[in-house]
Amino acid sequence: MNMSNNAAQPVHIDRVRKTFGEFVAVRELSLDIEAGEFVTFLGPSGCGKSTTLKMLSGLLPQDSGEIRFGNKRIDMLPANKRNIGLVFQNYALFPHMSVAENIAFGLRMRGWSRADKDKRVEQLLQLVRLEGLGNRKPEQLSGGQQQRVAVARALAFNPDLVLLDEPLSNLDAKLREQVRLDLRDIQRRANQTTIFVTHDQVEALVMSDRIVLMNKGGVEQVGTPYELYATPATEFGARFVGANNLIAGTLDKSSGAIQARIGPETVQPVSTHSNNVEKDGMDIWYCVRPEHVAMRPQSSAGHFGGRVMDKIYQGTTVLIDLDVKGLGTVRAERPALEVGDLGVGTDVGVHIERSHAVARLG
Amino acid sequence: MSAARLRLTPAIFFGRAALAVYLLIMLLWLTFPVVLVLLASFQGTLEVSFPAPVSFDAYKTIPPSYWEAFWFTIRAALLATGIALLVAIPAAWAMVRGKLAGRRIMSNLVLIPDVVPQLILGIALLTVFIPLRLSNSFAGVMLALVALSLSTGLRFTEALLEGLPDEYEQAAQSLGANKFTTFRLVVLPLIAPGVAIAALFIFMQNLITFELLFFISGPSATPIAIRLFSDIIDRGIVPYAVAMAGILVYVAIAFYTLVAVSLGPKYMAGSVMSRKG
Repeated sequence: MNMSNNAAQPVHIDRVRKTFGEFVAVRELSLDIEAGEFVTFLGPSGCGKSTTLKMLSGLLPQDSGEIRFGNKRIDMLPANKRNIGLVFQNYALFPHMSVAENIAFGLRMRGWSRADKDKRVEQLLQLVRLEGLGNRKPEQLSGGQQQRVAVARALAFNPDLVLLDEPLSNLDAKLREQVRLDLRDIQRRANQTTIFVTHDQVEALVMSDRIVLMNKGGVEQVGTPYELYATPATEFGARFVGANNLIAGTLDKSSGAIQARIGPETVQPVSTHSNNVEKDGMDIWYCVRPEHVAMRPQSSAGHFGGRVMDKIYQGTTVLIDLDVKGLGTVRAERPALEVGDLGVGTDVGVHIERSHAVARLG
Repeated sequence: MSAARLRLTPAIFFGRAALAVYLLIMLLWLTFPVVLVLLASFQGTLEVSFPAPVSFDAYKTIPPSYWEAFWFTIRAALLATGIALLVAIPAAWAMVRGKLAGRRIMSNLVLIPDVVPQLILGIALLTVFIPLRLSNSFAGVMLALVALSLSTGLRFTEALLEGLPDEYEQAAQSLGANKFTTFRLVVLPLIAPGVAIAALFIFMQNLITFELLFFISGPSATPIAIRLFSDIIDRGIVPYAVAMAGILVYVAIAFYTLVAVSLGPKYMAGSVMSRKG
């Protein structure tokens, strides 16, 4: 059975802009999405990600800019002519229709024959693993099942693009982890170009081919999950994606290598994202992920002197707040087995395994 | 049941007893007129006595002119309800979803027939109806009822649509449905239970409207409420008038039951809102 969307086309978003009165919701957003790609718009509430989604779907007109599928411009079309599948946060399944009728709705609008509709609905029920539930009403399904029906309904008519608006936020934590992987799996098998909107950075990291990190209507960074995590471009990115220690310092290129200077004595090598961080002596944040803070016996050479101030047990890992000479308060996250006997008040040697610098403004 | 049961102290006992008495009095007060009319209709007089023989004599003496007025009213009330809802539902949809300029003003303007005394509304309609030869006609009575029904109908359907999350409509549109199809396949079925309740209320209102029709009606177009009024003024409370009043109560109960049974109990208890997903 061929489930893939052979007609998949790249999506081009070109300088799309939206304002509400004085408020700039989306500032000149441009992005090219490959056919079959899974792109996540990630950001806090009010960052413009949902507004962008609404403009793509046709539920909200943009002020300026263009949206194209391949060479075809679609931003002048009404929502019902765009061929975009939409999955809502609350699923918005039609409560008066059965699961099968919900999934077939888009096919019905496109005038499919009864036999073709039935066949397609069966295919999709199989894809989302809800075989045999076609005759149920949505209210008879669990939240996770309703979510999968919403996805099936959005995929059924081979849309050019599928938009998912925080579709996992109504599921409980355990189910959410499972559905993330399911959704990713379904998307890959259908080779469906997809845009996913979320404020949850873990969801974004787990599911995406690429992440568009948004803040205050603008794009902070576009990159793979690895790039966003390992090499944030901005302070916002360093703070928003994953946990991070941010320590104020300056950039030191005097020796030829890129280093961070913290206080009068400390100089540490750092990675940087791009030309955002290049000028010798500029203000930077010295960023250290908690899992890159290692602890050694106090006596060993080449380490910072530190003292354990607090320990927070989390199961697999332990958070350790350290007072580090030359750096200040630094949080470490280590496997529980490794630091089981480390008591509060113990003096340790602190080793920074890896660090990164972003520009510090103001 | 909560795990720890409260002991029934005297204070709680008297509190509950007082509440029960209070509710009983309220129920009696509300049902008293209806019960009295029904009892009277079986005795042929308003001076109800206990125990009294139950007889259908009063019903048997209802004159043909009463039945004529009765069916006249049922026809006009049903037709007016239907027309009003057919106009009100799309209008309310346009008002709620269309984000029309001045919508608040419009929502309030359509309430005018409800807040102006009906007698005055009736006089106003009469001045329009006389040159159009609509007074003293079925069409005139029916149109007057439409004016009243429209106001109630808009109020109901506006509330229904306000309570319907617009995501259902957005979903339908994203799936390829145009505005009309969205309305037909999604909006209408979702508000249907609320519309049925609206229809019930509007029909009842039409059935008993009196003041509005006082001037518009005439010998060749007599609603039952007017017929009862003029007979009781002329001849006093005659047994068949009480019997006809009883019949109106049965019609009300029958329609309420019809709607209640077809919707199920969860829609009836004070709720006019549509179901949500």
